[in-house]
Amino acid sequence: MYDLMIIGSGPGGYEAAAYAGGMGKSVVLFEKAKIGGTCLNTGCIPTKTMLKSAHLYHEAKEGAELGITADKISFDMKALAERRTGVVSNLRSGVEGMLKRAKVVVVNAEAKILEKGKVEAGGEVYEGKNILLSTGSKPATPPIPGADSDNVVDSTGILQLDTIPESLVVIGGGVIGLEFASFFNTVGTDVTVIEMLPNIGGAIDSEMAKRLMQDMKKQGINFSMNSTVKSIDGDKVIYVNKDGEEQTVAGEKILMSTGRVPVIQELGLDEAGVVYDRNGIKCDKYGKTNVDGIWACGDVTGRCQLAHAATREGFVAVNNMFGIEDEMRYTAVPGVIYSAPEVAGVGYTEDKLKENGIAYKKSTVPMAVAGRFSVDYPNGQGQVKVLIGEEYGQILGVHMIGGPCGEIIHSAVMMVENEMTVDTIKSTIFPHPTISEALMIAISHAK
Amino acid sequence: MATPVLMPKQGNSVEECIIVAWNKKIGEEINEGEVLAEIETDKASFVVEAPASGKVLGYFFSEGELAPVLVNIAVIGNDGEGIEEFRPVIKESAAQAPSASNASTAVPVASGAIVQSSSFTTAAQDAPVVIEEAFGGVSPRAKRYAKRFNIDTSTVKGSGVNGRVIEKDVIASRYAEPKKTDLVRKMLNDGWEVRPNAKSSTIRSSDLRKGLEQSNVRKVIAQRMSESLKNHAQLTLNSSADATMLLKCRATLKKGASNPGYVNITIGDLIMYAVIKALVEFPDMNAEYINGKVYKADAVNIGFACDTDKGLLVPVIAEAEKLTLSELSGAVKERAFAAIDGTINPDYLEGGAFTVSNLGAFGIETFTPVLNAPQVGILGVCAPVLRPVREDGEVVYKDYIGLSLTIDHQVIDGAPGAKFLMQVKENIQNIDKLAGIEC
Repeated sequence: MYDLMIIGSGPGGYEAAAYAGGMGKSVVLFEKAKIGGTCLNTGCIPTKTMLKSAHLYHEAKEGAELGITADKISFDMKALAERRTGVVSNLRSGVEGMLKRAKVVVVNAEAKILEKGKVEAGGEVYEGKNILLSTGSKPATPPIPGADSDNVVDSTGILQLDTIPESLVVIGGGVIGLEFASFFNTVGTDVTVIEMLPNIGGAIDSEMAKRLMQDMKKQGINFSMNSTVKSIDGDKVIYVNKDGEEQTVAGEKILMSTGRVPVIQELGLDEAGVVYDRNGIKCDKYGKTNVDGIWACGDVTGRCQLAHAATREGFVAVNNMFGIEDEMRYTAVPGVIYSAPEVAGVGYTEDKLKENGIAYKKSTVPMAVAGRFSVDYPNGQGQVKVLIGEEYGQILGVHMIGGPCGEIIHSAVMMVENEMTVDTIKSTIFPHPTISEALMIAISHAK
Repeated sequence: MATPVLMPKQGNSVEECIIVAWNKKIGEEINEGEVLAEIETDKASFVVEAPASGKVLGYFFSEGELAPVLVNIAVIGNDGEGIEEFRPVIKESAAQAPSASNASTAVPVASGAIVQSSSFTTAAQDAPVVIEEAFGGVSPRAKRYAKRFNIDTSTVKGSGVNGRVIEKDVIASRYAEPKKTDLVRKMLNDGWEVRPNAKSSTIRSSDLRKGLEQSNVRKVIAQRMSESLKNHAQLTLNSSADATMLLKCRATLKKGASNPGYVNITIGDLIMYAVIKALVEFPDMNAEYINGKVYKADAVNIGFACDTDKGLLVPVIAEAEKLTLSELSGAVKERAFAAIDGTINPDYLEGGAFTVSNLGAFGIETFTPVLNAPQVGILGVCAPVLRPVREDGEVVYKDYIGLSLTIDHQVIDGAPGAKFLMQVKENIQNIDKLAGIEC
C-alpha cells in the first residue's frame, strides 16, 4: 500500500514524487514513455537547446561590430540534434537520480485507474492511499482537411528535422509556434505564421504581443493575422485572411501548433467516476478531483499549460493530501516566450485590468535605461512595463520584451506574489550594471 | 526550622533569571551544597545550591519561569513545616507602571543561597532589597524584545506569575501573528478587515473584506428595529378578510362615475380608512408603551410604512379619524411622494401611535411586522389570495386579503388584539357602508 501513486512523470509528476518521497512517503511513479514528460523530452528543454544555438549563430554573424569576425559560419542541424539529445539525456539522468534519492519506485508502463486506490500497470495491480494524475497534454490536431499531409509536423515531429527546410508555415501563433518561427527564421528558413486571433502569443499582454510581432516582422517573418486555415494540400496551406480573401502559402514543412489537449484517454477516469471534460480533469484549488483520494496537476487539468505551474500544482496537491494546508494561486504565474526577442510577463495584463475595471497606473521604460542593455544587446530593442494599483501602489503586473527578460521576471514574480508596494520596492537594491535595473527604474518612475 | 532558597543576585544589572530546571522533586532529600536548580540570565547560566540540608518542601516558580533576583524560589526544611510564610509577596498593582514610592515591596531576606559564580553576591550581604514590579506586568527582557520588534505587550497574554508577560510570551506572540503583505498593511489602514475564516500563514489581499458604511437613515432603522425586538414582546396574529367588497369598491371608484371627487383611491387607502375607524373603537390599540406606562393617543395619528431609496420611512397622518376617505387618500399620497422625494417635513415622521405596513403589492401572503416602538400595534396588509369558501352549501372562490397584526404583549393580550383584528376585518368587508360610497 503506497502513500501516493503518480501517473505521468512530467514536471508535475516527477517533482511531486520527489517532494512526497522527501517527506518520507512511499511513492510509485508510472511512466509509459520517458521520465521527464513533454517538458524535458520534447518541449521546454529541447526547444531551448535549439534556440540557444540559433541565438549564438545570429550573434556570430553579427559579431563584427563587437570586434569578432569569422568566415564560413554555418548551422549544423545534425550537431544541434546531437547536443540536444545529450542535454536531454543528461537532465533526465538528473531527474532519475533525484527520484532514486527520494526512494520513489518508478514503473515504466502505461497505468490505468481500476478504482479509487487501485492502479493497474504492466499487468500488475498497485494499491495506494492517493492517486495523482499528471499525464500532461499532447498537440491538438484540428480537423483541417489535408492535415495528414506528409509536410505537416507537430511540435514533437519538428524536432526530428535534420535539415533546415527552405520554407515553414506555422499554423497557430501561440508560444510554441512563435519559438519555432523564431528558430527557423534565424537559421535561414522562410517563415510564415498564420494566426486566427488579432494578436500573437496567446494571453500575453497585447502591447508586448504587438511589439514582438513588429520585431519578428523586421527579422523577416511573415504574419497573417485574423486568418483561418481552410485546408492543406500537400505543401500548400489554403487560408482566409483578415479581409476575407482566400490565400495560399507553400511550406516545405507545415507546423501545426494550434494548442495542446489533455491526455485523458485510457486512464480509467470513467471507471473511477472522475469528472472531466475536453479541457481536462476538473479539480479544485487544492488539486482535489471530485473523487476522494484522486488528485490532479498540470496540463491534464487544463488550468494553466506551463511546466512551472504544473510543479506548483503538484506540490499543492501533495501538501493537501498529507495534511499541510496549501492552495493554488494563479495570480503570479510567470510566462516566458523564448523567441528572439524574449518576452516575459507576470500578473495582470493591461487587457485584463481593463476588462475587470481595476484602476491602475502604468510605467513603461525602454530596457536601454539600464546601461548594461546597450552593452549586451548592441542593436536591441526592449521595454519594461509595470502595472501598479492606483489606490495602494501594489505591483499588479510586469511585462517585458527584449534582453534576458525571462531571467529578470522572477523578481517581478516575488513582487506580485507578495503583493509588494512601490514604496517598499524602492528601498531594495538592484545590482549595477545589470539589465534588471530597468525593472527598478520603471517602478521608480511610476507617478 | 525551614530555610528559604533565594534567587541569587547576578551582578548589578541582572533583575531576573530563568529557572531552567529543578534538580530535585518536591519531597526529595537534599544536602547542603547540593545543586538544587539550574538558572540562566540572558548572558550566562549558573546553579543554585541548597543553603541547608533537608527535604524540598516547595517551589514558588516552575521550570521556564523568570524569577526576580533576591526573591524566595524554594523552601527546604522538615516534614510538617509550612512554606507559606516564605512565599514571595505579590504586589497587586504590578501591572501598572511602578514608581519608587508606591511600588516597593520588601522581600524577607534569609540566609543566602550559594551560587558558583565569580560575580556572585549573596543576598545576605545585600539586605534588605527592594524589588519593583515583582510579579504581573512585563518582565524587562520581554520589554526589551518587544521594543526591538515593535510588539505591543498589552496584547500579549502572560504565562508568568500573576499573568506576568515574560520573554517567551512575546516571542510566541511575534511568531503567532500572521505575516501580512505590503498591500494588506495598506488596506488594513484603509478600513479593510481580515475575513474571520482567513487561515493562511500570510494574509493576502484576497483574505480581506470591507464592510459597507451604512447611511444614517439605515443606522436609525437598524437601531429602532433591534431595540423594538429587544424591548417589546411581539405577538403576531394572522387573519384575512373577504376582499370582495374592497376590490369591487376599488374598481368602481376607479371608474369615478358614481362617486364624484373620489379619484385614485387605492386598496391601501381603503384599508387604512378601515383601520382608522377600528382604532376609534379600540383606543387601547392606539397607544404607546414607555417605561412601564401606557400613553393613549388623543387622536388617531396613523403612520404608514413607505419604501424609499434611503430605506424605510413612516410618514404620519395626524387626526386621521377626522378625514374623509378622499381627504385621507390625498394626505397619504402627498406624504408618500414627499418621503420618496426626500423632501418630507421631519415633523410628519413623528407622533404616530399605530402603523400600517402594506406588502400586498409584492405578493406577500403573511408576515410578522415589527412594532414601530413604542407603539403597541402594527398591522401588516398582505396580497389578496383566491380562496375556496363554503357559501349556502356550495364551495365558491373569493378573494381574501391577509392581515397580520403584531401587538406588544406586554400591554395587549391575545384576545383583545384578536378582537381588534376582527373589527378591522369587519370594516374591510363592509368598506362601502363605512366610507359612505356606492360600489
